[in-house]
Amino acid sequence: MLFIQALGFGVITASLIAIGAMGFTIQFGLTNVLNISYAGIMTAGAFAAFIAEELHLPLVLGVVLALTVGAGVTWLLGRTLFAFFARRGAGLFEMVMVTLAVNLILQFGIDAASREQIYRFAFPQGTSLHGGPFTVTVTQLVLIVVAVAVFAGLELLLRRTRLGKALRAMAAEPRLARTCGIPTGRIVNVVWLLSGALAGLAGLAYVINSLSIDASVGTGFLPLVLAAAILGRAGSTRGAVLAALALGVVTEEVAAFGGAAYGSVAGFGILALVLLTRPAAVAGQAAGKVEVTV
Amino acid sequence: MSFYISTLLVYFFVDALLAWALNMQFGWGGIPNFALIMFQAAGAYAAAVVSLGPDTGAGAFQRYVFGSSLPFPLPLVVATLAGGLLALIVGSFSLRRIRRDYQAAILLIVSLIVTGLVTNVVGLVNGSNGLTGVPRPLSGVLSRLTYDGYQWAYAAWTAVIAAAVYLLVARLGSSPWGRALRAVRDNEDAAATIGLNPVSLRLQAFVIGGMICGLSGGLLAEFLASWSPAAWGYAETFAVFTAIILGGVGNTWGVVLGTLLVQVIFLQVPTFLPQVGYTGLIDALQWVLIGSLWLVCLAIRPRGLIPARRPVVSREARR
Repeated sequence: MLFIQALGFGVITASLIAIGAMGFTIQFGLTNVLNISYAGIMTAGAFAAFIAEELHLPLVLGVVLALTVGAGVTWLLGRTLFAFFARRGAGLFEMVMVTLAVNLILQFGIDAASREQIYRFAFPQGTSLHGGPFTVTVTQLVLIVVAVAVFAGLELLLRRTRLGKALRAMAAEPRLARTCGIPTGRIVNVVWLLSGALAGLAGLAYVINSLSIDASVGTGFLPLVLAAAILGRAGSTRGAVLAALALGVVTEEVAAFGGAAYGSVAGFGILALVLLTRPAAVAGQAAGKVEVTV
Repeated sequence: MSFYISTLLVYFFVDALLAWALNMQFGWGGIPNFALIMFQAAGAYAAAVVSLGPDTGAGAFQRYVFGSSLPFPLPLVVATLAGGLLALIVGSFSLRRIRRDYQAAILLIVSLIVTGLVTNVVGLVNGSNGLTGVPRPLSGVLSRLTYDGYQWAYAAWTAVIAAAVYLLVARLGSSPWGRALRAVRDNEDAAATIGLNPVSLRLQAFVIGGMICGLSGGLLAEFLASWSPAAWGYAETFAVFTAIILGGVGNTWGVVLGTLLVQVIFLQVPTFLPQVGYTGLIDALQWVLIGSLWLVCLAIRPRGLIPARRPVVSREARR
C-alpha cells in the first residue's frame, strides 16, 4: 500500500524533474555548455511568480512571468557572457566554471535581495482527489499534465517541424549545418530561450509543490535535474523523461521506506551505479569531438 | 587586535592547506574537484566526534556517531584518514575516463547531496545545528596560557602543519609522480601509451588531496570548537577555486598568494567589520563578489597572477 502511494508521489516528483531536465538537455545537447546557472534561473523564475502572487496578480500572469524571466535571463547570459567566453576559446570544462560563477552570482544575488528569508508560497492547491490508493491535489495533477504537455510539445517541435529538423542537424554536426545554410545563430537563440523558459517553469513547479521558496531552491533541485539530464544522454528529451521517471520513483520509494533524507541519495546512487558499470553510456562521445557552440 | 590577527593567521594556514590540495588535484591532475569542501567537512566532523566523548544517547543536546575522547594528536590523524577514505569512495566512481564537464557536474552533485544528507539525518552528526563544544586540544596542559596566548600557540601549531604539508606538496610536485600526474592532465592517451595509468594516478592525487583537506578540517573544527553544515556550503569550494585561479593554477606559491587575497581579505575580514543592512547581507554579497572576481580572472588573467612555469619541451612538441 505504502509502495503504491509512494509510486504516485514518484510520478509527481518525476514530472518536476522531467520539466527541468528537458529544458536542460535540449540546450546542453545543442551547445555543449553544461549550464550550472540553470539552478539560479530556476530560482529566478520561481521568485518572479512568487512576487506576482504577492502582488495579487492573476495566476496566469505569474506563470507567464516565470517563463519570461527564465527565458530572458538565459538568453541574455547565453548571447553575451557565454558567447564571450566561447569566442575566447573556452573549452567544455571552462564553460562549466563560467556557468558556475554565474550561478553563485544569481543565487547569492537573489539571497541578498530576498533578505535571506524562507517565504511561504501559498499557491492554491485545489481540492484533493481520491482515486484508488492515490490522493493527489488538483495542482499536482496539473503539474503532471504540464510535464506531459511539455514533452509532447518538444517531441512535435523536434520531429515534425523544419526548426526541429534544423536543430537536430545542428546538434549532430554544427559546421556542416552552417555550411548547408541553416541559420545556426537563430537556432542557438531559440534554444537558449526555450531552455530558459523551461527552467523558469521547472522552478515554479518545484516551489508550487514544496510550498516554500528561498534563494537556494534551484541549487537544491539541481542534483536531480542534472542527474536526469546526464542519465538520459545530452540532447535527448525522451531519455530525460525516462531518467526523470526512474529518479522520481526511486527517490520517493526510498523516502517512503527509509526516510526522506535518503531519497535524493538513492537517486544519486543510480547515477553512480551507471557510472561504475557503464561509464561509456553516460559520458557520451569522446571529448575531442565535442565543442562549445554558442 | 591580537585576537583578530591570530584568528586570521589560523584561517590563512588552514585555507592554504585547502589551496595546495586543490592545486594538486586540479592544477596538476586536472581533476575538477567541485566537492572539495566536503572532504574538509569529513575531517572536521571526524575530529569533532572522536574528541567530544561518547554520545550520551537520546535526550542529549547533540547526537552523533563514533563518539570517543581520543588524546591530542589522534583526532587530527582520524580527520586525515576520514578525508582520504571519503576521497577513495567518491573517486572510485567519479574519476573514470569521462568528459571533464561531466566529472565536474557529478562531483558538484555529490557535494550538494551529501550536504543535504548530513543536514537532514540528525543522528549522524547532529543535522543542521552541527556539533558544538569540541574540546580545544591540550587546553589542560597549556592551561597556564592566557586565552590570547592559546590563540597564538594554535596559530603557530597550524603554521607548523602548513610548513610540513608545503614540504610534502613541493616534493610531490617535483617528483616523477608529479610529472606523471601532469602528463596525464595534458594528454591522457599519450600518457597511457608510455605506461602510466591515468585513472589510478588521478585517484592517488584525489586521495592525498582528500587527506590534506581532512587534516585542514580537523584543525579548523578544533580551533572553532564547533562545526555545522553552514560552514561548508558548496560555495566554499569555489572560494578556493577562485583563490588558485587568481594566484596561478599549478604554482605552489601562486596559490598561497591567491589564498591570501581571496580567503582572508574577501571572506574573513568582512566578518570582523560592523554589520551593514540586515544580518547576512554582507555574507551574501561577498559570494556575489567572489563569483564576479572569478569571471574577471577567467576573462583577463586565466593563468593567474603568478603563472606556473611552462614545462621545457621542444618547439615541435608544442606544435
